[in-house]
Amino acid sequence: MTYAFSSPRLLLSAGLLVWGGVVLAQPAPRSAPSPALPLTDLSAFQKPSANWRIAGEASASLNQANQLTGQPGAGVLVNIPVKAEFGQQYNLLTATEHGDADLELDFMIAKGSNSGVYLQGRYEVQLFDSWGVRNPKVVDNGSIYERWDENRPEGQKGYEGHAARQNASRAPGLWQNLKISFQAPRFDGSGKKTENAKMVRVELNGVLLHENLELSGPTRSAAFTDEKPTGPLMLQGDHGAVAFRNIKITAYGKPRPELTGLTYEVYKGKYEQEPTYAKLPPEAKGPITELSGAQNTLNNEFLIRYTGTLKVQEPGSYRFNLGVPGGGGVLRINNKPVIAKAEWSGNGTVDLPAGDLLFELIYSKFVDWVKPNLGLAVSGPGVREYTLTNPIADEDPTDPILVEASTNTLLRSFMDLPGTPATGVMGQNSRGAYRVTHAVSVGSPEQVHYTYDLDNGSVVQVWRGTFLDTTPMWNDRGDGSSRPTGMVQRFGRPALLLTPMGSDQTTWPTDTTGSHFRPKGYSLDEQDRPTFRYITYGAMVEDQLRVLDNGQGFRRELTVQNAAKPLFARLMSGNSIKPLENGLYVVDGNTYLRLDTADGTAPAIRTVGGKQELIVPVKSKLIYSILF
Amino acid sequence: MKSIQSYLLGISLLASALIPVRAQESPKEEDFFKILKVSAPEGTLLEVGGLTMLPNGDLGVATRRGDVWIVENPTSRKPYFRRFASGLHEILGLAYKDGALYCAQRGELTKMVDTNKDGKADLFETVYAWPLSGHYHEYSFGPKIAPDGGFFVTGNVAFGDEEWWRGESRVPYRGWTMKIYEDGRMEPWATGMRSPAGLGMINGDFFYADNQGDWQGSGGITHVQKGAFTGHPAGLKWTNLPGSPLKLTTEQLYARVGPRQDKNAAGKYIKPENVVNETPDFLFEAKKQIPDIKLPAVWLPHGILGISNAEIVEIPKGVFGPFSGQLLVSDQGMSKISRVFMEKVKGEFQGAAIEFRNGFQSGVLRMAWAPDGSLFAGETNRGWGSAGTANEGLQRLVWNGRLPFEMRAVRAMPDGFEVEFTKPVDRASAEDLASYKVESFTYKYHPVYGSPTVNKQTHALKGVKLSADGLKARVVVDNLRQNYIHQITLDGVRATEGSHSLVHPIAYYTLNNIPEGQKMALSETSTRNSATAAPAKKGTTPAAKPGAKVGATAKAAPGGKLLASAAPTYDEVKGLLSRHTCLACHNTEKRQVGPAYQAVAKRNYTNDQIVDLIYNPKPQNWPDYATEMPPMPQVPKADALKIAAWINSLSKADGAKAADKP
Repeated sequence: MTYAFSSPRLLLSAGLLVWGGVVLAQPAPRSAPSPALPLTDLSAFQKPSANWRIAGEASASLNQANQLTGQPGAGVLVNIPVKAEFGQQYNLLTATEHGDADLELDFMIAKGSNSGVYLQGRYEVQLFDSWGVRNPKVVDNGSIYERWDENRPEGQKGYEGHAARQNASRAPGLWQNLKISFQAPRFDGSGKKTENAKMVRVELNGVLLHENLELSGPTRSAAFTDEKPTGPLMLQGDHGAVAFRNIKITAYGKPRPELTGLTYEVYKGKYEQEPTYAKLPPEAKGPITELSGAQNTLNNEFLIRYTGTLKVQEPGSYRFNLGVPGGGGVLRINNKPVIAKAEWSGNGTVDLPAGDLLFELIYSKFVDWVKPNLGLAVSGPGVREYTLTNPIADEDPTDPILVEASTNTLLRSFMDLPGTPATGVMGQNSRGAYRVTHAVSVGSPEQVHYTYDLDNGSVVQVWRGTFLDTTPMWNDRGDGSSRPTGMVQRFGRPALLLTPMGSDQTTWPTDTTGSHFRPKGYSLDEQDRPTFRYITYGAMVEDQLRVLDNGQGFRRELTVQNAAKPLFARLMSGNSIKPLENGLYVVDGNTYLRLDTADGTAPAIRTVGGKQELIVPVKSKLIYSILF
Repeated sequence: MKSIQSYLLGISLLASALIPVRAQESPKEEDFFKILKVSAPEGTLLEVGGLTMLPNGDLGVATRRGDVWIVENPTSRKPYFRRFASGLHEILGLAYKDGALYCAQRGELTKMVDTNKDGKADLFETVYAWPLSGHYHEYSFGPKIAPDGGFFVTGNVAFGDEEWWRGESRVPYRGWTMKIYEDGRMEPWATGMRSPAGLGMINGDFFYADNQGDWQGSGGITHVQKGAFTGHPAGLKWTNLPGSPLKLTTEQLYARVGPRQDKNAAGKYIKPENVVNETPDFLFEAKKQIPDIKLPAVWLPHGILGISNAEIVEIPKGVFGPFSGQLLVSDQGMSKISRVFMEKVKGEFQGAAIEFRNGFQSGVLRMAWAPDGSLFAGETNRGWGSAGTANEGLQRLVWNGRLPFEMRAVRAMPDGFEVEFTKPVDRASAEDLASYKVESFTYKYHPVYGSPTVNKQTHALKGVKLSADGLKARVVVDNLRQNYIHQITLDGVRATEGSHSLVHPIAYYTLNNIPEGQKMALSETSTRNSATAAPAKKGTTPAAKPGAKVGATAKAAPGGKLLASAAPTYDEVKGLLSRHTCLACHNTEKRQVGPAYQAVAKRNYTNDQIVDLIYNPKPQNWPDYATEMPPMPQVPKADALKIAAWINSLSKADGAKAADKP
């Protein structure tokens, strides 16, 4: 049976595309993520102490230390220390043990509180109220906590530990997201450790904080002092109030399939159809120990066929990702196509039994400008994705062009809003995300930054940490865009902040039609901080954002002059807006808004089209703060 | 004092050391116009997008990184750089007016003012913001200031998604020239622009230079009057909007010249390619039915006088000697500056374009005059590549006061051309018709990327009359062709002084109109032609050029055939590569606008495949390269084969022995 390789899809955009290095199998979505622990009760944990309970919702005070409350219901795990004492008995261990694993969870930390997530009960990623910290240390949120040795001299008992690359924390009382890829330590037959445990990846609120970080042993206050291939996950409960939800553990550690008895055959020629091999004399052939494009010395118009044995120990569903740059590929196992027709790349999922399986991989290359290469990656039941191939690396990577805001810094660029789909041709990037075309990003040495959309007079995102990656704009021709490099909070599709409202049910306008909106630019104060100006509905608006003390967020002050009609401001739109005390609101559990001064009447939360909106009338002055 | 003296001494030593080497040759560009660096603090990235001279002699420099620098004492050995503004969006133009600087960012025209007098802008006023779709190619250029104080700004087209080769205007006014006023009004001025990177105000008239691409056969400069349509159809999408100065619709244009939006069997669009055997269409032909069309005043032949023309400036009074009052046009891809002599014939601008100065370190995007009469060149090539291999730079072109032997001007006559020289010419050479050659050609108007030169024809020369002072030669040319580019080559004309040949022996005259008037009586002219009169006499043939470097014809092997076995050497193909403009974009070893010939050799094409690719390039094979190669069917097959054989010889020599490296 033969397969036709289609002509390549030429993903050219006037030669703009940078074929950065190898077009290989992209890291796939990992094997189906495990479902979250069912937090209907505490049965997933070993002997929970009284400080742990199940709740339906959690909330924590922005201002009062260690104040966290749970509301009745299920789905949220809450820890409220009962006694002011430390002790392992207050920590929570899962009933199951893990070795290699991916962990994802949401957590909410109370003001001033301290907790931690211990992989295998031993290696801690610190959870801490690090709001306002500029240079995180090992005690800060997302850091790998230090190790501890009582036998060392005073002041040197703590050692190692790895500070987070930047502070990616949210404010206390907001939900934060943590993702960890962990690799367990390895041991030989005698139980001697042969490889250290490793944090393959740690992401806090979407920001990469650690990568391929080796840990020489358990960190301080671990549940165990020894190291083992597996252990339970531990959530620290003895240091302060914290809540968790959506805890997902994907366990790995099952044996990987192995390739043995590999041979290769190279056929010269342009094969858009798979040939009948028996009739063809190969250009070269022989046994190999490793799957790689390196055996082949032809640059183009060749077909290379690998055969061998795939030894599978763990039966189950396996997913293969194949990269065949500049051509087509086929993967067969036991003579059945797993990837029947890859064009440049492809993937396929197959149920494999345990045992020795026939492996056959074909790569036909016929697009002359592409460098030949080969990539095959696989993930399976309890098997984290790994590559079976050794890719050829012969192209230099690009140096990133990073902009730091060591002083108040402005930079205009296109700004993409991932997660916000584009509408029509206006404001669209190549991946269909909304692209703000008249964006200004404003960075501060306090490490809180925002992006302002001059087309609407709206704040489209705020973030903390490092400022901008301008590589997409300034490397080569560029696409005119830059990207925030810290912990970003986006506010959805940009829209006018101010508009007149016919009634309570007036839908908020999605564009500037009818507003005669005109941007007027900005002026800089003595510290180079901008005040934006625009005209909308005949009113002259001055719009100013200033960093709050300790970098907690921004204070926004609008001055409106000569409004022809009464104007309203939509301060926030979200799935849920909840009033707290003293003019404070929490939006979608991830942002606080505090109304400081409004000279109109009181604000209102309304629900329109399934969304909640916080709306306030504006006469001449509006001051509110965004805390995050 | 001492150090200055020794410095001067060093220069004179250097100069005298060089003189003997060049003594036998005719002088070259660099013997008259020096390219000097402008020193800047280490690490200052000057990817220049805008340059403007301030009234006090400071130089304003805007960069693609979004900075605006004020350079104090910019012609001194120690200029002082002050950052006036930063954080702007890929600035591609800068102008000064009434105490403020103005720049076009991608999405708006911005006025920058230093209100608190601390040397830095603190007010960034949006004069006018235009929509963008967010496509990378939506660059905006300008402003140039009109006599009434208005600002001319131009906008690039975007490209299609599936039809990635097709320029399109996704939002108003991409592909247009806008005229913007201080009070925020915007007047749609003209359309037909594709990549209008070059702007110039010449005596109150707005000119622009486009880049070769779809619907633009070659670069050139066009006088853009209100309501003009300059050829690229994308912007016609918006002629129905209020305020549009022209009513021409896309449908009307496509009814005249098809867009070739054809699909294959699989329903995918087919990229239009050059059709070799067709009756081509021309912009001047389309103009007969579509009077809105505005023809280039002066074509700048692609690959010769640029591949991505940029700024247009007028040479001020008293500057650059005999060329004062003429135009200079810079080019990004070829890192050079060309000179244009323009005249008005029948109410329209036309004229001649001549090479001027090559060898800048990067792509010359912008130019500005210093008060001392030198010319600043603001440079960048990021994303496009250029003959000058640096990525960016700020340099200065300085005339040393020596008079180069050049065609000062070329004027259209009812029956030919009048060539004016900068120095008296040797009468024997100038009264010999064999010293002159006139050919004409033009470019296609089609939705294909670029155009080959087509309808090439050699004109018979009937006579030449040299003025008494030896400064003007009136050449009578048979069968002048209106609208065609006339390539006037004066390889044989010698200066009286030193018997030098012209620094640049070729002028390209765009003959949009043939003037009325008195024709020259042939009895008044010399009709002597040494080539036909005395065919075999060595030494008297002007074709034997002592210092010729342009237009060198390839030496044909005996019998006119190449030996198939031996690949030609670089010296054997150099003339062909130069004549067919290959060297505008390619170098043997280095990546320039296009890939190095060595990189082509590595593809292991056959000679015939390379010839096919010369005639029908496949830019999709070279996705790392920004500028598409235009089809070159005008290259004779024998020449193409010879070039191909040479290219393929490079892969064999690769690594082992670099025998014939230039």
